[in-house]
Amino acid sequence: MSTTVTPAATLSSASASIASRRSVSIATILKWLVAICVAIVAVFPIWWMFNVVFSHPGVPISINPRLYPTSLSAGLNNILTIFTETDYLRAYYVSVMYTLLTIIGILLFSSMAAFEFAQFQFPGKNLLFGIVMISLMVPKAVTIIPTYLLTVQLGWLNTMQGLVVPGLASAFGLFMLIQFMKSIPAEMIEAARLDGANHFQIYWHVAIPLSKNALITLAILTFMSTWGNYIWPLIVAPSPTMYTVGQVVGLFNAPYSHTTVDIVMTANLLAAVPPLIFFLIFQRQIVEGIAHSGTKG
Amino acid sequence: MSSRTTRSIAHYLMLSPFMLLFAVFFLYPIVSGLFYSFFEWNASQTSHFVGLANYTKVFTSRNFEKATWNLLIYVSITVPLGIFVALSLALLVDSFSGFWAKFFRSAFFIPVVMPLFLAATIWRWIYAPNFGLLNTILGWFGMPSVQFLNDTGTMLYAMIAVDVWVSAGFNMVIILAGLKNVPRHYYEAARLDGASTFQQVVHVTLPSIRPVLFFVITYGLISALQVFDVPWLLTGSSFAEYGGRANALLFPVMDMMGRGFGSVRFGQASAYGFMLTILIVCVTAVMFALRKKFGDA
Amino acid sequence: MSFKAGFGLSALAAGALFSVGTAHAQEKVTLEYWVYSDFAQGEALKLQQSFIDEFEAKHPGLTINIAGKGDDDLLTGQIAGAASGSGPDVFMNSTSAGASLVQAGALKNIYAEWMAMPDSFRAQFNKDLIAMCTPKPETMYCIPYTGYGSLMFRNLTVLEQAGVDTKAPIKDWADWLSQMEKVKAAGKYGVPDMTQNWASFLNIYSGVAEASEWGADFETKKTLINPEKYAKTAEFFQKLKPFSTGTNINDQATRDLFISNELAFYINGPWVNPPLEQAAKASGLKYDWVMVPGATEGKKAGVQGYEFIGVAPKANSKLAFEFAAFVTEKQQMTRWAAALGRYNSNVESLADPSVSSNPLLAATYESAKTALYNKPPFFLGTFPNSYWSAITDNASAVADGDMKPDEAASELIEQLNEILADG
Repeated sequence: MSTTVTPAATLSSASASIASRRSVSIATILKWLVAICVAIVAVFPIWWMFNVVFSHPGVPISINPRLYPTSLSAGLNNILTIFTETDYLRAYYVSVMYTLLTIIGILLFSSMAAFEFAQFQFPGKNLLFGIVMISLMVPKAVTIIPTYLLTVQLGWLNTMQGLVVPGLASAFGLFMLIQFMKSIPAEMIEAARLDGANHFQIYWHVAIPLSKNALITLAILTFMSTWGNYIWPLIVAPSPTMYTVGQVVGLFNAPYSHTTVDIVMTANLLAAVPPLIFFLIFQRQIVEGIAHSGTKG
Repeated sequence: MSSRTTRSIAHYLMLSPFMLLFAVFFLYPIVSGLFYSFFEWNASQTSHFVGLANYTKVFTSRNFEKATWNLLIYVSITVPLGIFVALSLALLVDSFSGFWAKFFRSAFFIPVVMPLFLAATIWRWIYAPNFGLLNTILGWFGMPSVQFLNDTGTMLYAMIAVDVWVSAGFNMVIILAGLKNVPRHYYEAARLDGASTFQQVVHVTLPSIRPVLFFVITYGLISALQVFDVPWLLTGSSFAEYGGRANALLFPVMDMMGRGFGSVRFGQASAYGFMLTILIVCVTAVMFALRKKFGDA
Repeated sequence: MSFKAGFGLSALAAGALFSVGTAHAQEKVTLEYWVYSDFAQGEALKLQQSFIDEFEAKHPGLTINIAGKGDDDLLTGQIAGAASGSGPDVFMNSTSAGASLVQAGALKNIYAEWMAMPDSFRAQFNKDLIAMCTPKPETMYCIPYTGYGSLMFRNLTVLEQAGVDTKAPIKDWADWLSQMEKVKAAGKYGVPDMTQNWASFLNIYSGVAEASEWGADFETKKTLINPEKYAKTAEFFQKLKPFSTGTNINDQATRDLFISNELAFYINGPWVNPPLEQAAKASGLKYDWVMVPGATEGKKAGVQGYEFIGVAPKANSKLAFEFAAFVTEKQQMTRWAAALGRYNSNVESLADPSVSSNPLLAATYESAKTALYNKPPFFLGTFPNSYWSAITDNASAVADGDMKPDEAASELIEQLNEILADG
């Protein structure tokens, strides 16, 4: 190649392209390496917990660090123990209902309010918005006792509404949706109005579809904070018939609980299964959501 | 004029479910909490007005000083580090496409899905002295065992690591949603101008996702100032035992909860909460002022 | 009382908003009965349920709901419940939480009801514990219920491997240390980190101290810890350090090490026995229990603590008291102790042959004779949490060599008195 007569410009461009290809490939390898390492760090602890459950009992963690599962039957046995010795199934039901109702409520109420705050001017808007935003900065722990006392006064102790309703006014959800809904073009809303849509119809048919991604994100975040919520169910639903999964796991995690590590981890693992399932389902939806908004935008 | 009035009514109607719940289950508890902070309050016994005594008592206590100092160090590390990790992960995921983008996004997000009590249980095992997973790995390299959760020099950093592990995926998803909205032709234009990948990130990506970053940073700050769950679960996780050795993991919300439920001093706890609220309001105000100064995007 | 009025008003407003009916049928009575989680699991739950069934049979229309709670959740729920009048009607807790519960208004003074009980019933209980429940004249907050005394569990496999004669009793701390030397030489751990937790601290401190040298005087707001004895304890912690696992006695990891023949000595309450028993069956763990060794020959160490059953100051408190008296009565406590091998405060039940033959219970009984109470005095004042962490932090610092024992002792006493004075 060197013997052929080539213009200097072509030569330099060719060598540049080789260099860049080489640097790209190194960057690509590095990129994969980092991605895989981070993925291991992120997933390993959960994988490890799974292995603790599905391992031969008696072999201590200090000797066998549980890097892979060794016994299916031991794991199934652990799971059976949990289901027979505790009311885990009922706790699942309570937690699922608590979570679902909370998600529905938060998505509906926050998006309605966020739509107004993000897109319109009306008297008192800044005042109302200011108050809601300040509440975002109040630590939850400050309000927990007064909220609890109020819930008791309503006669909602040990009820689903007692669990759900006080958590529905989510300033966080509102804040997040406002940030997203601000990007809806005002012309789209004006166009819908000119087409004769009323206020609620604009919200339902224009704002909601356009905010699908944000709503899904909010739904999953709400799912997690509700599923993992510990202190509120603890005080507002003290009866065993209303125990959430978190409370049942709490019984096993207590220092004086009479159980070995494999049983404790089984209780924990079972609490992690629904969020994992929810998350896997949600994966497809977010992809669809992105595609959907992509075609609209 | 009248059409504007009816339109206003529509706005308020849409706002009303949220605002009603908000007033009953958020504003009212906050106001009553403020009220308690001026009383010596033992729940059932007659309470009496004590003026600012609760505030001065909290303010002059040794634990308050320790908790505030811990908080300061914690926030100044965990917020920048957390955002940096989340942004890096988002860019990393964004650089993949198709299946692998989805795969890594899911993998990085998994820790967020786990209930916190579960994450803490696992991490306590990973951090265990002598035979814990991390110490085993250190042992391979001939390093001495570290008491991650019982050595006052490492406790805070060990906790920040868990904190970042738990929350990086959360921020990553939000930043990713922002990245998807950056028009692709911006990058093409930058590339035509000869910008390197790093330059593209600095000059195209970051400015384009400024609102999202603002949200992530502000929310990260607010929640870091209220940190409770992770240090609580990594230390004694009981009202009789929390904060860890030499209170190295004592934070204001934890100290406040301890005064309320552990020592039955709800007046002090309320006062504590309000002092913390004022701090958070100030920090957030600074954030918003900064955003105004550097222009809204 | 102005708060209650405030809540009433808000409830009225909220009630109007949500229109919640509150009508209830009057003849049916339901009592909420809260216990520790281990009382509401397995064997223990079956027995508790049969107590409840028997009591309900005598009181038509009565329903008693038993609810198990983790240690901390039990206290949190009771305090929150007392604040709103919605807590349990009858419940148990540790006597060390007694003062907090009194302060929260969760406990009714049951002195009149107690005195109305026949002498034959009142004579069944441990006198010291009755005195504990009666902090002031004519003020009684509880009926003593169950209890524990700490024991030292020994992993026999580890000790045999190390060449320790497990038949010979451990005479004193020096003897104990020499056994741990051998254990360490065999590549195993001697003890968990005893400085990390107030209970494990007390298990060592009780090896030198007397009952009058533990706890606090809430009148003068002074700690009762003896600085010289504390210094001796701290010095011993330094000696224990090389044999320590570095884990808290309550960590799951500590139990896992013991079960897996990595740890020789494990000092804790009798409640850790069920998982050890299970491990003995599943993996062939060989273990036994002995008294916690004291510093010198003849000095016994150990910690004892008690649970009480109390009644909330609510509408059905009479019935709730009757139920409390029923479950603590000799017949029930005898069945309880015989079936579970768990210690309790009903002395007559412990003397029953079906009970006294249980080895774990016998050992607990033996330990409780001389052990120090966990967090005395009870029902008189609340210890700020920092009181206990100050002790463990100080002990850890000495064990790490950051402070000299005698300096640490005087510093600790000063710090504890400061904490008590602060309230």
